[in-house]
Amino acid sequence: MLELLIHQILAGLFRASYYWLIASGLTLIFGVTRVINFAHAAFFVLGGYIALTIDSLTGNFWIAVAVATLTIGCIGVAVEMGLIKPLYKIESLYQLLITFAVTLIVNDASKLIWGAASRSMKLPTELAISVKLAGRSYPLFYFFVITIAIIVFIALYIALEKTFWGLKVKSTWRDVTMAQALRINTGRVYTTTFFIGSLLAGFGGASMVAFTPVAPGLGDSLIVTAFVIVVLAGLGNLFGAYVSSIIIGIAESMFLLFIPELDILLIFVIMAAVLLVRPWGLFGER
Amino acid sequence: MVSPDRRRFLGTVAAGVVGIAVGAGLGWSLRLPETREEKVTFTVPGPTVTVTREGQTVTVTREVTAKRTLPKDTIKIGVLGIRSGPWATYGTLIEEGAVLAMEEINAAGGILGAKISLAIRDEAADVVKQARELVEAEKVDFLVGVDSSGNAMRVGPIMSELNKILVVTHAATHRFTEELVYKQKIKQLFRVSVPVYQDGILAAYVAKDLPVKKWAGINPDYEYGRVSWQFFKDTLSKLRSDVEFVSEQFNRSPGTTDFSPFLSAALGAGAEGIYTTNWALEAVTMHRQMKSLGIYDQVMAVINPMSYSMDVVYELGKDYPTAKHGTWVSGRYVWFYPKTSINERFVESFRRRWGRYPAYSSETTYTAIHMLKAAIELTGSLDLDTLISAMEGMVVLSPAGARWIRPDDHQAIYDVPYGKITHVGGEIPILTDLVTRSAWEYYRSPPF
Repeated sequence: MLELLIHQILAGLFRASYYWLIASGLTLIFGVTRVINFAHAAFFVLGGYIALTIDSLTGNFWIAVAVATLTIGCIGVAVEMGLIKPLYKIESLYQLLITFAVTLIVNDASKLIWGAASRSMKLPTELAISVKLAGRSYPLFYFFVITIAIIVFIALYIALEKTFWGLKVKSTWRDVTMAQALRINTGRVYTTTFFIGSLLAGFGGASMVAFTPVAPGLGDSLIVTAFVIVVLAGLGNLFGAYVSSIIIGIAESMFLLFIPELDILLIFVIMAAVLLVRPWGLFGER
Repeated sequence: MVSPDRRRFLGTVAAGVVGIAVGAGLGWSLRLPETREEKVTFTVPGPTVTVTREGQTVTVTREVTAKRTLPKDTIKIGVLGIRSGPWATYGTLIEEGAVLAMEEINAAGGILGAKISLAIRDEAADVVKQARELVEAEKVDFLVGVDSSGNAMRVGPIMSELNKILVVTHAATHRFTEELVYKQKIKQLFRVSVPVYQDGILAAYVAKDLPVKKWAGINPDYEYGRVSWQFFKDTLSKLRSDVEFVSEQFNRSPGTTDFSPFLSAALGAGAEGIYTTNWALEAVTMHRQMKSLGIYDQVMAVINPMSYSMDVVYELGKDYPTAKHGTWVSGRYVWFYPKTSINERFVESFRRRWGRYPAYSSETTYTAIHMLKAAIELTGSLDLDTLISAMEGMVVLSPAGARWIRPDDHQAIYDVPYGKITHVGGEIPILTDLVTRSAWEYYRSPPF
């Protein structure tokens, strides 16, 4: 039984790591710019597509991931500067609509470029090495992703809490008018936030495609879980999002083991229950 | 099927009979007092016609159009398939079959001279709205396609109101034919593809002969997944008393990108075999993850009913994993079965047109259009009731073999085998150790 629990926890952590890579960008962008970026998961999947194209050209997984990550970062910036910036001053509904439009465009563009069929690439040999744990073998890739998620968490923590740039981001996050009064270039902070958020999504998608094939529109279902995580943590609470990713990831694994009939439902039950008791989320501020 | 030349000949003969009858009648009325009697017998299809002619030669002028014609020059067929989202590839597969049928039929002169045209819509964008628009705005004569069982159950009930024939070519829920056609008597609905009897019941016949006693199910969490798993369990428990179903999981579909917790829970429950009806993207994901998590080395056999679909086969290709006692898969048609000239010709022309082996929903859609053609040619009519009664009980010779359209539930009865994924070199694996059972044996039959 203990072994089984270890396996489920590991599988949950692995899943949670992907949730975190999506949710971190989503909540960071929301926290700073107050834009609910519906296209975020579409960027995640697009990262996968770009990675598999680069991989088929170069045959190198690492180059593919790097190029895809940067490309998505740049696409994020382009979308922010070209489409979202003009909408900051008006109702947030319009921002939601424009990011939804971007989602549709990205989905159909991927279908046009890469076709409707699912696509995937192979795990690089160095990550395919199997590691024995409690009687089962896992590819090294598993631990790689979990580690990367932790590294991302630490890096974001340092960037936000220990640097001057982080201070500027946090002050924009708190009160944008005050930040502007203090001569912080909030426009640039917004763009940088979009860049970092998209970078994380791009990296997540690019590395995922070695384990999970991508198809156009896959992001539409991923964004739902990402929203659940972000709302559970409290909208805009970055570090809470890591904890709630892990809560959701492991809860899903455990429900599968013990109450498989209800596992999909229970995630939403958890969210509803938390929102009833703490409408501002587990880690959010009142 | 009646060929145009033979039809023209029969028409002429019939016209001749009518002409002579008229002539005879006229002759009889003009007869002279002393006459001699002559009997002439014509043989035409149907009852023998005897015309009695008396008197001298009479000249009769007659004007008859012998050729059967349709009231229109174009027959428009609406095609529904999933064209957006993670399953978008299936809409393309349906489209490829429809386009090939249209091109071939039009090149050979159309249906009784009328050309076919297609109107293709995305069923994922509200299937009911799309079907209505196809019928009301695009004025289609028939509808074919539909990938999702949920969509088939939504669009089925409105077909009696729209009063058009819908031939389903992929959606597999047994409720479509058992409930909508058999119980609710919506006579406009037909299905030329196999229902879940294939996914659930025939799969149990495969499992019966495997050395697996503990089965785990990992199935998509909607009607198709749940019903197939239920059929599998029910049938296998009847066929073998020593099997156990140790774990049952239902994954979100579409949208499951990581099967590891499901697989881990199944192994934890001691599964020796895994039964999954995940398909398309999720089938690819699951097989790949089972391989990288080493699960293929730990279970004896895997059954995945729809995974000899060409999108899955091409995507996994040479890496399609095989378990010790086989990865058993099937489809609604597999391209190399049966070995008939019709099938070989179809595969050949499909490959020429699209550069790939035909997927099952391409074949079923191709067949649906040919079935409509046969019904129209047989009756010479576009009248709905005439066509429906022509299609009930019709035997369609198709690439997948002879399909009999069972009149009670409008379900095509034909055999599709299961087989073991085997790599023989080349781009895609083939199936060996085929399990071929007659559809009569494993299809449920009315009364339901």
